[in-house]
Amino acid sequence: MQKKVLTEQSLFYGDIDMPKGFEIDQEKLTNDILQSTFNSKEFPFSRTWDMLNTYMRDHINVEYNINLVNKSTWGNIYKPFETTIPLLNIDLVDLKNAPDFTMLYGVKVKNCFVRIHFDDNRRKGRSWDIELKNNMFIMFPSTNMYYITNNQKDSLNFVQTITYEYI
Amino acid sequence: MAHFAKLGSNGKIIQVLTLNNDNMLNADGVEDETVGQQYLEQHNNWPAQMWIQTSYNTINNTHKDGGTALRGNYAGIGYTWDEDDNIFWPKKLHASWVKHIESASWKSPIGDAPALTEEQTSQNTAETHIWGYVWNEANTTWDLTDSKA
Repeated sequence: MQKKVLTEQSLFYGDIDMPKGFEIDQEKLTNDILQSTFNSKEFPFSRTWDMLNTYMRDHINVEYNINLVNKSTWGNIYKPFETTIPLLNIDLVDLKNAPDFTMLYGVKVKNCFVRIHFDDNRRKGRSWDIELKNNMFIMFPSTNMYYITNNQKDSLNFVQTITYEYI
Repeated sequence: MAHFAKLGSNGKIIQVLTLNNDNMLNADGVEDETVGQQYLEQHNNWPAQMWIQTSYNTINNTHKDGGTALRGNYAGIGYTWDEDDNIFWPKKLHASWVKHIESASWKSPIGDAPALTEEQTSQNTAETHIWGYVWNEANTTWDLTDSKA
């Protein structure tokens, strides 16, 4: 008896383990998210964003041999007890230009939960829940719909999103 | 053109970049690895001590143009930096294989594969057979196989 895997959905998650003295500047990212959100401007390029992006690309490449190319990036602010609408970062009628992966990074978060939906063949509408913590990333295929919940009453949650294509 | 390997936190090589030789000259105009490391730290946001110079022409502790070998092997993504032996190690092919410092390579615990006999070599040349030894990890032996059979 033999087995052939035709497709798989890989989810990657963990901490951004930067060297000492080179940690991601979460205050800078928070400020950039605020600025870009309230001024309705594109998320600005910065040294600290580049460090995050480079870390992801280097480590996914070395660990899983996936060569990532940037598609887009933006930041979001989630209010206390807010749950997003279903999020999907692809245009179903333009899959050619859609990203392959969505990466969420916890910039400044507390009780922030991500629910990622997937189908398991006949078993539709399954989901996987994970808490997104500060300095943690979650990366999953962009074809998966997801929700983000701020499950506390005290503070805003800041989440950075980067989408990637793989080559 | 100089080459520098970027170390991950576990000593694994996560990137290899080229650097213009002019960017690693010290005040005396001499190429200096630490100057290159500082340059890379400044421009790539990664600590200087986690950039290690590597030689494009070095493999198995030999410089292919007859020069001085540097750090065993040209570093590649996924290689491991061995600070104690000053060597970039490629991935181990088989679990039982051991480090051979002199050649900066992994060797089987029973040494290299035996040489082919004259008859096997001539058959390979005539392309009637393709004899070769293949490592058998389960038995830790070199197995003679004919891949044309």
